[in-house]
Amino acid sequence: MKLTNLSIKAKLMIITMLTSSVALVLLSVSYLGYDLISFRHLLGEDLATQAEIIGYNSAAAMAFKDATSATAALSALKAKEDIVAAVLYSPSGKIFAQYTRPNVSHPDLPTDILQDNASRFRGKYLEVFRKVSLNGDPVGTLLLQSDMSQWSLRARSYATFLLLFMLGSVFLALLLASRLQNLISRPILRLEDTMRVVSTKKNYEVRALKFYDDEIGRLIDGFNTMLAEIQQGDSALQNANDQLQSRTHELEGEITHRKKAQEELLSAKRAAEDASRAKSAFLANMSHELRTPLNAIIGYSEMIQEEIQESGRIQNVQDVQKIESAGKHLLALINDVLDLSKIEAGKMALHVESFEPAAMVQELVATLQPAIAKNSNRIELQLSDDLGMMRSDITKTRQILANLLSNAAKFTDHGRISLNVDRTEADGQQCIRFRVRDTGIGISAEQQQNLFKEFAQADVSIARKYGGTGLGLAISHRFSQLMGGHMSVESEPGEGSLFTVVLPAQISAEDSAAPAAKVEKDQPFAAPKAKDPAETILVIDDDPVVRDLMSRFLGKMGFDVVAATSGEQGLALARRIRPAVITLDVVMPGIDGWGVLKSLKADPQLSGIPVIMVTIVDNEIASANLGASAHLVKPIDRDRLADLIERCRGPYASSNEEAVTAGVQRSQDKIKRTKRRDSQPFRSN
Amino acid sequence: MSITILLVEDNEMNRDMLSRRLERKGYRVVAAHDGGHGHALAHSENPDLILMDMSLPVMNGWEVTRLLKADPATRHIPIIALTAHALATDKVKAIEAGCDDYDTKPVDFGRLQEKINSALGEKKPS
Repeated sequence: MKLTNLSIKAKLMIITMLTSSVALVLLSVSYLGYDLISFRHLLGEDLATQAEIIGYNSAAAMAFKDATSATAALSALKAKEDIVAAVLYSPSGKIFAQYTRPNVSHPDLPTDILQDNASRFRGKYLEVFRKVSLNGDPVGTLLLQSDMSQWSLRARSYATFLLLFMLGSVFLALLLASRLQNLISRPILRLEDTMRVVSTKKNYEVRALKFYDDEIGRLIDGFNTMLAEIQQGDSALQNANDQLQSRTHELEGEITHRKKAQEELLSAKRAAEDASRAKSAFLANMSHELRTPLNAIIGYSEMIQEEIQESGRIQNVQDVQKIESAGKHLLALINDVLDLSKIEAGKMALHVESFEPAAMVQELVATLQPAIAKNSNRIELQLSDDLGMMRSDITKTRQILANLLSNAAKFTDHGRISLNVDRTEADGQQCIRFRVRDTGIGISAEQQQNLFKEFAQADVSIARKYGGTGLGLAISHRFSQLMGGHMSVESEPGEGSLFTVVLPAQISAEDSAAPAAKVEKDQPFAAPKAKDPAETILVIDDDPVVRDLMSRFLGKMGFDVVAATSGEQGLALARRIRPAVITLDVVMPGIDGWGVLKSLKADPQLSGIPVIMVTIVDNEIASANLGASAHLVKPIDRDRLADLIERCRGPYASSNEEAVTAGVQRSQDKIKRTKRRDSQPFRSN
Repeated sequence: MSITILLVEDNEMNRDMLSRRLERKGYRVVAAHDGGHGHALAHSENPDLILMDMSLPVMNGWEVTRLLKADPATRHIPIIALTAHALATDKVKAIEAGCDDYDTKPVDFGRLQEKINSALGEKKPS
């Protein structure tokens, strides 16, 4: 264990012991040294004094050469234990008399003799020389030799004493130090204990005990202050944590609650949807079931009317007419309910076809003329020149306009009704705008709010006075949305009304406001039926599917269809059968459509036959330049094809005399057909 | 020579009413109350036109139409479908089955008459 890593207690002990021991040892050693030196000095002086005495006593014997007396004088030294030998030298240096301590057999005498009164240490001996003189005359020299046994004894006993004293002192110091070091180490050790408690148990409530008001005391004060602050912070943190936990708990509760509510809402929604579907299905079935007896009611009342009229009992006709009109009203109501239930069930399909809005509007106005004239109203039709073609659901468009116009006629008396149609742009797409204005009774602001809602005719009294189901506007409004457009009204009571319907000129599936609306492009039953038989159309196409489709479709229209699978075959057939119209594909093996077209137009006998290009190649300019009558891009739009064939046949047929009547007959048929479709404005398809 | 119309309709009132009204217009009407009966009468009576309800018992209108249009003996007879359901799918099915035209019930007699005239072409009731 390194010294520096010892406990503070041990360190304090070591420091205390080391310093006190060093001081003690230094003190003792210096004291011993000093004492031994001064004692030796004292011994030397003592020996010199004895030498003086012995010299004085033996001077006479030396002078008289009395050796016995001299020896006797020397023998007096027996009392002195530490004198080993005493020698009297004659002035010539010869031993005159000698004394040796009895227990010493061979004294170690020096070889040289110091002449002056001197002393020296030689080996373990202290030697003192003294001149012996009688009456001032030198008679010899005295040597006293001491072995300093007294000094050695003293030195040993001193050293032993000092050692014992030192041991005692050290023990005492140890005792004191071990007691006194507590003054410093105890507070530090207690502080350390406190710190350990804090760090291991994270208990910030304990406080270090302060013993004294010294540096350590201040350290403990500081530590306790720090602990208090930590405790405060800790408790604040704990509080925040507790709050957070309770908040989290609350939030969890809230979330559970919301989830539950959401599930309830979902199940309620499902239930509502189920109910809605059931309602729609019920309505659809009901209206079907209601139709059958109504069919009989209307049919029989019509029949009775005819019979009565024939029998001449005119007065009863009105009664039967009331039955019939009530039946028809009921039927209109059922049809409207069916329409609405279909819209709500998302089953209202769009039948998209291309048509001319101008022609549609003109025909419609002609159909509605009697209803408009009923209240002595006039109608003005304003059509913009740039209307062009529209691609939408013609039946629904017509139904909307018929509804608006018959409403206008119904609520206007001796007034003016105008239908204004123009092209406009809304949300970046081309739209056709229909505006129906009347000078009728008008609609108040409150009434306008409910105008487009189901079963919310503006006023109960109105229903009584004017009739109607109260569903027409709601259906028209929904139809407008279904076709990607919108409907709005501006009116003031007494000032007439203005209804505006804006519909996209080109409908697409995405435009449709109702996502469930199915866009059906093909409408086989809308195909016009050709009146004149045995008109031949030559179809030139290498695709058997196209040939088959065209043959079936044109066959249904009443044409004889001859199909050619290649350009060469097509040209040969054209020369032989002289068809009324040729439809021609462009991309074909061998001679392509352009080649066939050139050959046809180059042949004076064939150049008069109208050619309709039916192709995936969208190059109307090339078609026109080469002399084609029309250009149709695949996939084939049957209505458009029928329309084009109708048009192509017109001018060609009128080029010979006998076809003129046929042409007129055809156009009359066309009107009839259109009317036939128009005659069910509130009927859904 | 009178023109014969075969009316295939299961609802008694409608059958009665329609046949009487057609007869008043000068047509000779033979009526069938189900698909099988209609099919039989189409062969035995050789009518000039058939008015066919689509939802019929025994054999429905689409099936009868398919059979008649597949048979060389009856193929030429124009068939006008009477679809009670105002549903587009029924009409499409009628045209696909081979019907020449369709009309929606309840019948608007004037409209039906136009369709009959159109289907009959040159033939006129005596």
